[in-house]
Amino acid sequence: MNTQELALVFYTILVQMSVGAFVILGFVHLYAERKSDQKNADEMSDRALLAIGPVVVLGVLASLFHLGNPANAFRAVSNLGTSWLSREILFTLLFVGTGAVFAVLQWRKIGSFRLRQMIALAAAVLGVAVVYSMSSIYQLTSQPAWDSLATPINFFSTAFLLGALVLGVAFVINYSYLQGKKDRANIDIQSEMLRKVLQWIALSSIALLGLQLVVMPLFVSQLSAGNAAALESAGKLTSEYGWIFAVRLVLVALGAGVFGLFLYRNALLNNQRMMANYAFVAFALVLVAELLGRYLFYAMHVRIGI
Amino acid sequence: MANQLGFYVDMSRCTGCKACQVSCKTVNQLPLGVTWRRVVEVDGGEWIQDGEQYVPSNVFAYFVSAACMHCENPLCIQVCPAAAITKRDDGIVLIDQDKCIGCRYCEWACPYGAPQFDADRGVMSKCHFCYERIDGGEKPACVEGCTYRAIDFGPLDELRAKYGDFASPAPLPEASITSPSIVYSPTSHTLAEGSPMGEVMNREEL
Ligand code: SF4
Ligand code: SF4
Ligand code: SF4
Repeated sequence: MNTQELALVFYTILVQMSVGAFVILGFVHLYAERKSDQKNADEMSDRALLAIGPVVVLGVLASLFHLGNPANAFRAVSNLGTSWLSREILFTLLFVGTGAVFAVLQWRKIGSFRLRQMIALAAAVLGVAVVYSMSSIYQLTSQPAWDSLATPINFFSTAFLLGALVLGVAFVINYSYLQGKKDRANIDIQSEMLRKVLQWIALSSIALLGLQLVVMPLFVSQLSAGNAAALESAGKLTSEYGWIFAVRLVLVALGAGVFGLFLYRNALLNNQRMMANYAFVAFALVLVAELLGRYLFYAMHVRIGI
Repeated sequence: MANQLGFYVDMSRCTGCKACQVSCKTVNQLPLGVTWRRVVEVDGGEWIQDGEQYVPSNVFAYFVSAACMHCENPLCIQVCPAAAITKRDDGIVLIDQDKCIGCRYCEWACPYGAPQFDADRGVMSKCHFCYERIDGGEKPACVEGCTYRAIDFGPLDELRAKYGDFASPAPLPEASITSPSIVYSPTSHTLAEGSPMGEVMNREEL
């Protein structure tokens, strides 16, 4: 792996997390609005929405370190016809742009609710297109470790796993902020929504962990049945980088599985202090696990031929 | 492409001396870490016990001189987001370094390791078939530099008519991936693509 690929570790993780968080936030807002009203739904989600901004900007900045010649970066969308990299960059720009417009309108409550909803939906679709085109970049005949259905599955599972867990943290912080406000009229409904949403977040993390645990062995056995480059990649994953692979598995199982379960249970029992702590721990463990996983993705690929 | 140019390598003449590689590096003033033409050494066979001693059994070595294949289906062009790679009418595939963003996507995609990163300039660098020399009526540097006259070039259909269409000695990939513009004359030892019988002996040189 070279430093340029290291930049991609951060870029892909941060952008995928942002997309996942944005999409899931949409669902949370829909739920909260039905459960209470528009104002309470906004109270719950608006600050989380703004928090996605810096994350995505950080990701895009990291992507510039991927380029040997960033002065030419503007040329990167010159081959939309055949290059998935061009398409990914275009979709990223559109996602960031549309998301930013939505965030401003939503924050300032400009435009009708319907209009804002439509813009948010457009941004969410663009976000999914970002993750899809990102995974298509790696569908290369020359790179058997990437040219697999496991790549899109992993990218989307990263997006929704990290997206869900980072939202859990955001909601917990937002709730304690609301608690500190003078006007605490709606705190009960906020508390009720928080523990419901945290339960869903915990359950989806456990489900996505399950998906990852199914895909992983299938992927390794696919590699082991492949050509020389595929075998070399499998060897890197299981021996040269075997310990990173093991640590990654343990961390994701702990974060999404064990702490996911704790989070679910404490949210169910409305044990407020503990559920906040578990939301933090689950996110931190899974973030490290996903960064290691993406590091492996770039460290293990071996090109066929010479 | 009717007038596609290609390379021809007579593997039975090649001794692995790497004069083509050096000639290319010199003529094109390639920076450290960038080697457009590379010579792969493939060894195989084994030693078997015969009474008190070990004797070679089918021990062999052969060499594959390879640069950019100026493919008919150039994956490098397909993936380049900056549209910095183009194919001329005579089939030569060129990187325009003034347009390259240095994303190294072509390096991932090309199974011949042809596009290489020029770390000093932050852009990609690749065999250009010595197009300026060709346009001026000269031969490519590797063709001229080969001490054993093992490399030649010309219109691909003529090369194929003369020498056949074998294009994938191991460890080169299947020709169907990019349709490389190359013809190799194999030796009796040359392994076909995908064969597990040989081993690349000079990986760090490639
Ligand atoms: S044709 Fe020219 S540029 Fe290409 S490998 Fe030979 S000497 Fe180098
Ligand atoms: S050998 Fe590689 S760089 Fe050269 S034309 Fe073919 S795909 Fe492109
Ligand atoms: S490194 Fe340069 S030539 Fe290669 S794909 Fe990127 S922009 Fe194109």
